[in-house]
Amino acid sequence: MAADLALREQAKTETRAGGPARRTGALTPYLFVLPYFVVFATFVLAPAVYGLWISLHDWDYLLPGKPFVGLDNYQALFDSNSAVFSFFWESMSATGIFTVLSVPLLLTIPLLIALLLNRRFPGRTFFRAVYFAPYVLGVAVIGVLWRFLLDPNLGAVNAILDAIGLPGDTPWTTALPWGWVTLVGVTVWWTLGFNAVIYLAGLQDIPRELYEAARIDGGGKWAEFRHVTLPGLRPVLLFVTVNTILVSANMFGQSYLITQGAPGTETRTAIMYIAQVGLADYKMGSAAAMSYLLTVGLLLISAIVFRLFREKDAS
Amino acid sequence: MNLQFSRRGLLGLGAGAGGALLLGACGDSGPNEKVTGGGQNAAPAATAYTGPNVALAFWNGFTGGDGPFMKKLVDQFNTEHPNIKVSMNTYQWADYYQKVPAAVATGNGPDVGIMHVDNVATNAARGVILPLEDLAKALNFKAEDFSPPVWNAGVYNNTRYSIPLDVHPLGFFYNKTVMEKAGLDPSKPPTTDEEYKAALEQMKAKGIQGDWVTPFEFTGSMQFQSLLWQFGGNLFDDQATKALYAEQPGVQALTWMTDHVKNGWSPKNVAQDADLVAFRNGKNAFNWNGIWTINTLKEDKNLQWGVAPLPQIGTQKAAWAGSHQFVQFKQKAKDDNKLTAGKVFINWISQHSIEWAKGGQVPARAEIRNGAEFKALPEQSAIGSQIDYLHFLPPKPGIADAMATVVTAINEAVLGRKEPAKALSDGAAKANQLLEQNAKKYGS
Amino acid sequence: MSRVKPVAWYTVLIGLSLIFIAPVVWMVLTAFKTPGEATRVPPTVFPQEPTTSAFDTLMGNDQTPVLRWFLNSVLAATGQAVLVLAIASMAAYALARMEFRGKRLIFGMIIATLFIPSFVLIIPNFLIVDRFGWLDTLWALIIPGAAGAFGVFFLRQFFLSLPRELEEAALIEGANSWQIFTKVVLPLSKPALATLAVISFLTNWNDFIWPIYVLFSPEVFTLPPGLAILQGAYTINYPVIMAGALVASIPVLLLFMVAQRYVIEGVSRSGLKG
Repeated sequence: MAADLALREQAKTETRAGGPARRTGALTPYLFVLPYFVVFATFVLAPAVYGLWISLHDWDYLLPGKPFVGLDNYQALFDSNSAVFSFFWESMSATGIFTVLSVPLLLTIPLLIALLLNRRFPGRTFFRAVYFAPYVLGVAVIGVLWRFLLDPNLGAVNAILDAIGLPGDTPWTTALPWGWVTLVGVTVWWTLGFNAVIYLAGLQDIPRELYEAARIDGGGKWAEFRHVTLPGLRPVLLFVTVNTILVSANMFGQSYLITQGAPGTETRTAIMYIAQVGLADYKMGSAAAMSYLLTVGLLLISAIVFRLFREKDAS
Repeated sequence: MNLQFSRRGLLGLGAGAGGALLLGACGDSGPNEKVTGGGQNAAPAATAYTGPNVALAFWNGFTGGDGPFMKKLVDQFNTEHPNIKVSMNTYQWADYYQKVPAAVATGNGPDVGIMHVDNVATNAARGVILPLEDLAKALNFKAEDFSPPVWNAGVYNNTRYSIPLDVHPLGFFYNKTVMEKAGLDPSKPPTTDEEYKAALEQMKAKGIQGDWVTPFEFTGSMQFQSLLWQFGGNLFDDQATKALYAEQPGVQALTWMTDHVKNGWSPKNVAQDADLVAFRNGKNAFNWNGIWTINTLKEDKNLQWGVAPLPQIGTQKAAWAGSHQFVQFKQKAKDDNKLTAGKVFINWISQHSIEWAKGGQVPARAEIRNGAEFKALPEQSAIGSQIDYLHFLPPKPGIADAMATVVTAINEAVLGRKEPAKALSDGAAKANQLLEQNAKKYGS
Repeated sequence: MSRVKPVAWYTVLIGLSLIFIAPVVWMVLTAFKTPGEATRVPPTVFPQEPTTSAFDTLMGNDQTPVLRWFLNSVLAATGQAVLVLAIASMAAYALARMEFRGKRLIFGMIIATLFIPSFVLIIPNFLIVDRFGWLDTLWALIIPGAAGAFGVFFLRQFFLSLPRELEEAALIEGANSWQIFTKVVLPLSKPALATLAVISFLTNWNDFIWPIYVLFSPEVFTLPPGLAILQGAYTINYPVIMAGALVASIPVLLLFMVAQRYVIEGVSRSGLKG
């Protein structure tokens, strides 16, 4: 498919006169894209299309009958009498709450830390590793670790708070809003190093001459940040923003391990519910429909993000 | 082995971007065709295997401390049966239940395995496991040879799919030191509702919250189910078409639990595992927990504890229990030798299940449970004495989906988000929808 | 930065670091406790009866070949990181710098699939991997994961932020696209490439859902599904979890520190001066 596509595209390009004044063969871009595209088409595109097809069926890969149900699985998500309606939207709102709370923190704090760690000082590789260290641990480990430390009755965190005279009976993992404080806090602690490292790499792309020029202009640190750092980081910032929204919207392990969706199912995220329906209840059709609805929502949000960054481009 | 590119694989990758794969994957020629070869378990069931050498793959979820006990039995079996070589693979249960159907679907499934009794019907309906009717007949097994509830729990659609290995009931664990501190007699754990509440009151007077109620599946849901049955209720009707747990007995059971918090016998907001951690640290005295807790508590050398059958809170005796059961899996191509050898293996392990009981289980087989060797295991036999009034879920496919609503209801009530009656009726309404979905999906 | 006093500077840094490192230190200390002491209330900070029994559980069992899992994890994570760097950097460069028909369509498809929850792809991908005959091999861990859109999107954004002048200079000197890519762009992108390598490696290293489906034999396991076996079914053995996490995370931290040297190297590139 990819090769075929490439050839067709090439034919089209060749018929166009002119083109950019480059010593690039018309085929070259396609050759650059091809190796990735083969793998992508096989393991992402094909399963994604397959998933769409699944979402139109009552689909269990082990049952011989996989009745076609048209858009029923999608309709059920909007029918308040269906078995999935309230669970699904509750989980979507949990995901929404988590995303809205965590994304701003995960965009700003890592940037500050990256700016701190971008200076030259003895031991900076060590400190970079310190901030990155939590992310090296898998979610299974940090989930168990924090559930234990944040236990409302027996945990070390409440014991420490109690010892320094603060309330020592906060239900970190079993009640709201504390459950969200915990999930957001743990996630920021865990993944902050990830975004910081990407920012750090992005900061290396900004030519040092620009900073020197800014210093000569004498605008101070803040002006330097606004006029040199931020514009220089813009493509990277776009990436970090989209990716952070994406990762937050896919949050699953933290809820699954730390709050277990409690109280009730109020901190059960969309992905946690989708996994339950698709992989534990074996209702893949319904789970696929939910996944694609979530995908559409995320696409809309990211389209807005892309637009925002482009508008800044124009100004 | 693992890093050899298969030629087919490389060729496949080359063509992978093409539409052929996509169409192929979309076709209804799903994995099921691959496993039709094993659709019937027609192999003659035998107690001895005399055919050519066979190798059997035996998968289970006996992680942590359980594995070595089963491994020892498997090794002994291999020594005694030179023509059968059983190799055992262990996975976490949650992983196992994802992995096994996927493996069976692609013809990579094991020959023999273990399943919890409440997963048997689902896997039978999904075509993962084979009927074991003939083995039961050949060995002339009767319900009384095991125990009727656990024996009958392995039957789906009038066909037997599993043979019980063990039962693992809920038991009543008590911390002797804490009881003594509160002025209670540590040799007389409470057995009735009055005694139980009196003990809790007495501990409360000494500033001890004696019994922490946990709002999660482990083990709040198991405690709720035990109480529900003790009050004469049931989770579902026999055909699993309707949830019954929101009726009066259910409300009584859940109110009994939430009253613990209301009366100060339990703290609020007990997190997962906190009840047991508190028990091990002498913060509470009573804990309803699974038989597997025996091994955990034995690690604490200084802990003075005992275990007894669950106290009778309601109008009758009842206790929650799980059960590990043997199953045989569908294969790409039917191999009578392997099927027969597998049955020999199942029967042999069952006969030797006293060794398994030593790892912290109650053998399902009555002759072993009643034997002197099992009686000599004080903790196991105390919990095992509940055998005649253990309860299991109705053997219906997808029953676990509906059980999730029970856990949610308990969570909401114990954490004080909803009144017990409201939490249960909300949950039951959801459960009814799920049961209806499942009846349609699996055919009722 | 010379204006900041070193003492104040390090105080801030170390103070912040404590938040990050304290739970990790607790983890390390727990690995040397007995299971009973690990759940003691109030908790002990330092092991009262230090023991390596958690590590013995890890290492001393022929049913659980931890070294083999470790090796498998290294192979799978390295394999995938190398593959991602190779194919994603080429695709990203074309998408960032070249004009061609269908570019928007291809980039749009790549971005759109980024938002599909991976759970919906698991079963279809499992069936596809089966068709390739890769079940129960490390190929199943290396190749499908390299198809993710993350690497392409990531590198495209970095290439976009590179100054164009050097590429243009090379073009004038008569270099072709491949030469510009390998001789100019890739060396300039060391910080981004090193970062992507670490991220890809780590994602693969910690993945525990996909291996559950595609790996069956203990000899082929990677660390996450392997270490899971060491846990009891119903009780959490904290020292064993933490010892496993320690064994699994130290190599990655070392890799990270090595990779960070390339990030520093990026600063001192000389090409743009003068």
